[in-house]
Amino acid sequence: MSVDYSWYLFLGAALFTIGAYGLLIRRNPLVMFMCIELMLNAVNLTFVTFSRMLNDIGGQVVVFFVLVVAAAEVVVGLGILVSILRRRPSATVDDISALKG
Amino acid sequence: MDVLSGPVAGVFRAPDVDYHAFAPELVLVAVLVAVLVVDLVLEGRGRRLVGGLAGIGLLAAMVPVLTLAVDGANRSMVGGAYVVDDFALVFKGLFLIAGYVTMLLSSDYLADDDYYEGEYYFLLLSSVLGMMVMASSRDLISIFVALELLSIPAYMLAGWRKRDLKGNEATLKYYLLGVFATGVMLYGMSLIFGITGETVLTEIGSKLQGPGASLPLVSLGIVFVIVGFAFKISAVPFHSWAPDTYEGAPTPITAFLSVASKAGGFVALMQLVFIGFLGRDDVWQPMFWVLAALTMTVGNLIALRQTNIVRMLAYSSVAQAGYMLLPFAVAGDLAKGPGAAMGPMTTYLLIYAAMNLGAFALVLAVARKTRSGEIASYGGLFEYAPGLTVLMSIFVFALAGIPPLGGWYGKLVVFKTLLDANTPWAIVLGVIAAVNSVIALYYYASVAREMWMRPVPDGDTTPVRVPAGLTAALSLCAVATVVIGVYPQVVARFGDLAVFSLLP
Amino acid sequence: MSELLRAYLTVVVFLAAAGMLVGVSLGMGRLLRPKRPSAQKAMTYESGVDPVGSIFGQSQVRYYIFALLFVMFDVEAVFIFPWALGLEVYGVFGLVEMTIFIVILALGLLYAWRKGVLRWV
Repeated sequence: MSVDYSWYLFLGAALFTIGAYGLLIRRNPLVMFMCIELMLNAVNLTFVTFSRMLNDIGGQVVVFFVLVVAAAEVVVGLGILVSILRRRPSATVDDISALKG
Repeated sequence: MDVLSGPVAGVFRAPDVDYHAFAPELVLVAVLVAVLVVDLVLEGRGRRLVGGLAGIGLLAAMVPVLTLAVDGANRSMVGGAYVVDDFALVFKGLFLIAGYVTMLLSSDYLADDDYYEGEYYFLLLSSVLGMMVMASSRDLISIFVALELLSIPAYMLAGWRKRDLKGNEATLKYYLLGVFATGVMLYGMSLIFGITGETVLTEIGSKLQGPGASLPLVSLGIVFVIVGFAFKISAVPFHSWAPDTYEGAPTPITAFLSVASKAGGFVALMQLVFIGFLGRDDVWQPMFWVLAALTMTVGNLIALRQTNIVRMLAYSSVAQAGYMLLPFAVAGDLAKGPGAAMGPMTTYLLIYAAMNLGAFALVLAVARKTRSGEIASYGGLFEYAPGLTVLMSIFVFALAGIPPLGGWYGKLVVFKTLLDANTPWAIVLGVIAAVNSVIALYYYASVAREMWMRPVPDGDTTPVRVPAGLTAALSLCAVATVVIGVYPQVVARFGDLAVFSLLP
Repeated sequence: MSELLRAYLTVVVFLAAAGMLVGVSLGMGRLLRPKRPSAQKAMTYESGVDPVGSIFGQSQVRYYIFALLFVMFDVEAVFIFPWALGLEVYGVFGLVEMTIFIVILALGLLYAWRKGVLRWV
């Protein structure tokens, strides 16, 4: 009783697409961060699926690194966001547009 | 991955660590920790000490790089995932020097600002460490970790002036697009891992030349990985963050990003493409053709109408990345094999590093007096700062590729690669590149015209006081630019070294 | 019925059983218990203390820093687990490696402490 591996790959692809699409069209920085997480976790799911398919532990090792580094990355991002929101509450990405040209 | 499969098999053999090969990174890690601890103990009172320590650390890490270069042996560790060869050493040297020049640029800039924090040096060293690791990474995991180690500190450095609106915007744009690119690259890596079942590049390379390599999923993976790095090297259409981030970040960091970070992206691309994806030039070659043509043309055309010197240099560095991409676009058609495209790229990168760092150092020096980034504020610079005017002319004409200054040789080797390939597509690309060089000359020369022929805008002709660190950086870059232009054999040698060690 | 749907049939049965369990126990309670509503009972439960302000009040930005620190150190522990599982297998080599790793992590904590992030103002 097991679900075919390709379903997991499709789920991964769907999550990745949702994340990428959301990151490109949403304007709330916090929602954009969530989309980033969605993309990275889609990657993790794909790696784990392939790792099971190939019976190769290497793919799961990648997931460890992606998890940790993604956490570091998002923490830095939230830090940046907090420092911006301290100065300008409720900013959307469109409000942050001093630089053009 | 014998380290990890150990417990499953019930035996574990501690890997032989080649400490000599790891020495540059180990030195850098030790200095990094020392900088953090010293800054914590002194609580910001020892700013000169921390800066000095970081600078000495970068130079100290250069020593093992040199001893490894003298030794000359290729060292492969962790099952081929981490390789120290001439290619890696050439770029480690470049990253250390670029880091040191950034340090020289930063010291007075930070002292003038009220934003001084000891973490600045810590972050800069971390980013350089990431680049050093990148130069040796021959495995998907280590490339990813190196990329993040060089990027995450760079996000923070770009937003260093955290009470400044432009700084905030610079870092947010850089961060969001950078992370997006990382996600795309990782997804590509997961597809490639899924098809080949390998993470080490040499293994992926041999699998991709066998059956199953032509699956569409492989092509998709390769495209995703290249798109991810196209953000890093700010290739059009993935360049939109670059000008805004360059303008909003502190200028020394802009110099660092435009040279070291871009070189880091190119190093990763070269390793991935020329080791991992070697057999699939049908996928990456057309892609690089389009990227190169777009990057040169769009970068140069937008640079034409910039009035701010930093934005102009930002678009110029986008365009320069286009020239550096040219050898990729014809690599598959070279008689000596695709790897032969690496020499010209390495040569161009080294020359570009010298002239671009120099140009940004000069922008810093002039901004100390004019407090402005507008090109118009360079009017009549010759009247009160003839030395700086001559230097700036050297850098901009070198970037334009006028002999006998450094840049011409970079252009020469790149064009020669296009001619070697000798396909219709290569010739078309060559024509596009030639037209672009002419366009570029126009905006580079307009800076020179402003400095030499226009009057001083506000009539203030007090001389510019250039601090020692900045003077050192300027002279270093100027000497390198001129010497390379007159004796191009110096960099050509490095370019050749970088090729042969990597070819199987 | 395909293999996939058959596999999910168990899930559906469990879902139905779980729904029934909740429905029956709550329904029984509703039938049996006495009903005397008062204003005090409708108040938000704050561990016995009278609640202050609206429940939609924003939390202080300081919580973020703690949360971020927690996420960081929490996730890093992922590297310690595989080592702990193979503690004897990895021997002295593993111990030295992990000591270096934990010392560097501790340095991060030291940094946060010296910067005054851990102090609640």
